[in-house]
Amino acid sequence: MSPVLSIENYRLEYRSSGTAFRALDDVSLTIGPGEVLGLVGESGSGKSSLAAAIMRLLPPNSREGGGTIRFQGEDLRAMGPRQLRSVRGRRIAMVFQDPSSALNPTLTLGRQVSEVLETHRGLTPPEARAEALAMLRHVEIKDPEALFARYPHEASGGEKQRVVIAAAFACHPELVLLDEPTTALDVLTGARILELVRRLRAQIGMAGLYISHDLALVSRVADRIAVIRGGRIVEEQPAATIFRNPRHPYTRLLAEAAPRPDRRLTTDEAGAEPLLGLDSLSVRYDRRGVFRRRAATGAENVSFTIREREVLGVIGESGSGKSSLARALAGLVRFEGTIRFTGRSVKGPGAMDRAYRRAVQIVFQSPDSSLNPRQRVREILARPLKMFGGNVAEIPRLLDEVRLAPNYAARYPHELSGGEKQRVAIARAFAARPRLVICDEITAALDVSMQASVIELLLALRAAHDTAYLFITHDLNLIAEVAHRVAVMYRGRLVDLLPVAQLREGDVHPYTGALIAASPLPVTA
Amino acid sequence: MSAGWFARRVLLIGYTLLVVSLVVFAVTEILPADAAVVILGQNATPAALAAVRARLGLNDPAWLQYWHWLWPALHGNFGISMRTDQPVGPEMFAALGRSLLLAAGAIFLMLVVAIPLGLAAALGRGRSIDLLAGLISYLGVSLPEFVTATLLLMIFADRLGWLPATGYVPLTQNPLAGLSHLALPALTVALVLIAHVSRMLRSEMIDVLASEYVRAARLKGLPWRIVIFRHALRNALLPVITVVALDVGYVLGGIIVVEEIFAIPGIGRALIVAIEARDLPAIQAAAVIMAATYAGVNFLADIAYALLDKRIRYE
Repeated sequence: MSPVLSIENYRLEYRSSGTAFRALDDVSLTIGPGEVLGLVGESGSGKSSLAAAIMRLLPPNSREGGGTIRFQGEDLRAMGPRQLRSVRGRRIAMVFQDPSSALNPTLTLGRQVSEVLETHRGLTPPEARAEALAMLRHVEIKDPEALFARYPHEASGGEKQRVVIAAAFACHPELVLLDEPTTALDVLTGARILELVRRLRAQIGMAGLYISHDLALVSRVADRIAVIRGGRIVEEQPAATIFRNPRHPYTRLLAEAAPRPDRRLTTDEAGAEPLLGLDSLSVRYDRRGVFRRRAATGAENVSFTIREREVLGVIGESGSGKSSLARALAGLVRFEGTIRFTGRSVKGPGAMDRAYRRAVQIVFQSPDSSLNPRQRVREILARPLKMFGGNVAEIPRLLDEVRLAPNYAARYPHELSGGEKQRVAIARAFAARPRLVICDEITAALDVSMQASVIELLLALRAAHDTAYLFITHDLNLIAEVAHRVAVMYRGRLVDLLPVAQLREGDVHPYTGALIAASPLPVTA
Repeated sequence: MSAGWFARRVLLIGYTLLVVSLVVFAVTEILPADAAVVILGQNATPAALAAVRARLGLNDPAWLQYWHWLWPALHGNFGISMRTDQPVGPEMFAALGRSLLLAAGAIFLMLVVAIPLGLAAALGRGRSIDLLAGLISYLGVSLPEFVTATLLLMIFADRLGWLPATGYVPLTQNPLAGLSHLALPALTVALVLIAHVSRMLRSEMIDVLASEYVRAARLKGLPWRIVIFRHALRNALLPVITVVALDVGYVLGGIIVVEEIFAIPGIGRALIVAIEARDLPAIQAAAVIMAATYAGVNFLADIAYALLDKRIRYE
């Protein structure tokens, strides 16, 4: 059978102010009819450039080198604007990473599906509306009539992604490009979207290119997997075998770095002594108006105890209250209830003395916004050292502990990579010699290989300093690897608190059960 | 838009206008003019002046005078003109009507030119059309009205003779003549504003064209005009509304010069005449009416913004 898409020896460069960057280097790929190819790579690997090249929507500073891109035997590169318009959206459709930015904020959701039908199938507006409603029903929207008239800001992330998918599948395309379609969504919503994609694929039988950074996830949806690194395809093999038998060292690294629940990275036990406890801690956010006050709840009556040297994982979807909890503990928001710490009761941020603030440190998700861009690493680290009785001479030792060379002290944050910035943020937390470090989704913005090295670093620091961690993440597999116990947050409440080993034993809150079911296990069998 | 928001905005506007009326009253009170002298002339006898002062209540304490002025003013009654002996209110509202017509014409002309200009500049970014659009905009904004007005008069009234130079004809009397009399003054005001809107639209449009949802629209294979007009322009125009509302304020001020040049009996001209004649009730009325119009237009702009941008909810 002739392939739906075949790319041969394709090259692409980006040029900016005289320098050229090779984004895609001699890329060859084929996708057969009804086949889904997974394209796995980390940020900057060129996977999104490849999607842009197939859709023929490259940025102005790109220069294409040699090579062909053929779709059903036709040369996409030779097509003019008119021909491309008849291919895009009709024969090749795309599902985007973030539905919130891919949908037009001033058009109704229904309109954004029906316009595709009007354009490509020549339907009249009423016909297109009826067809779009049918399509929305097809992607399991509960009340299509109501959703049709709503605007993007009035719908949930999952609903929006379903609308994007409905628009993509509306004309029964021959090929669908899926660019990280679940990355911007909650774990549970993402799992449901993935299920929907699988079902549509079985019904429509289209070919697909599934782009993702997550090897474990892709191995569950794709037939074959191509691994891309630095613009080159380094390995290609069936999804069923890639985890078991990665051939290229980079694939091996990715497979090794993917969090797996059947592997433990933390091997020792937590201490027996309690370190810090919460007694019915609540965080409420007031929105003050002239005429009324409304309170939004961040966290409600949360109680638990962290022991010495314990890694306590906290999991929950966005808005579940896990970050509110972190902020309350770090003294960044007002809270009700009590924090017990070394035999004292802390009733609010104002009651946190220097000893508490020194002992409890926090590392944030994005080092880009938590590191002052106008300070050198030296200044960033000197502040906590001076505040908590350290010595500026310790800076080289701190840098060494997070595996950065001493000359990094003179650099600014923008001169560092994402992983290096997060190491500086970790060093800043450890400058205070803390007893507890709150890690608020600190690896969420990092690639898997980078995540693995940051996790390894955290565990090494814990071994050296006997630090306890409150480890907040949305990745249950990661928690299963590193935490002693897991706290599950749902709608501001703590619904489960149990040892990690008991996670798979079944006696859990329904929400925890759903999370376990939604966490992708790599295909290793 | 909740009823609460609406009520709060109306209250706020009322408060603003109260402050404006206080300032206007205070300023006109301290003007170096004695109303009695203005009415009776320099040679009036002290007894006659005292009688007029008593009749006008000029001997009352300031707050009482303010109240005696404010309360009827709230009902549209701004007193009797010292110049014409006619009630000020009806005259001012009629003048306001003529000015608003001119302002509406100016805003309309401005939008008709500025939107295509901004759009063309954004689509042809960095090319000659962009430079040309920039040149036109900046020329318009940097020339003062009396210069553009003179240039326009020279070309269209004097050289070509297409349009009348000055004067005003009510639209109800002769629509064609009315419009032709409005054309040059409206164009003069519009030229200054083109830069605001076209530059704003250009930069908004460039941002929107780079957005993910416009990319998505193109990848849906939609025709070019739908991508530009339905997906991009709609979103790029939203912030422009705010600029237009601010411009209306500018127009109400800028119109004073233009009305004077083209001899249009609008509120700006009425204000100048009133100041020259030291006609206190007329000055007060004109100032307060202009402030109220400005506040009202901004209120309308907020409402329009909320109606067009579905994400905005005033609570």
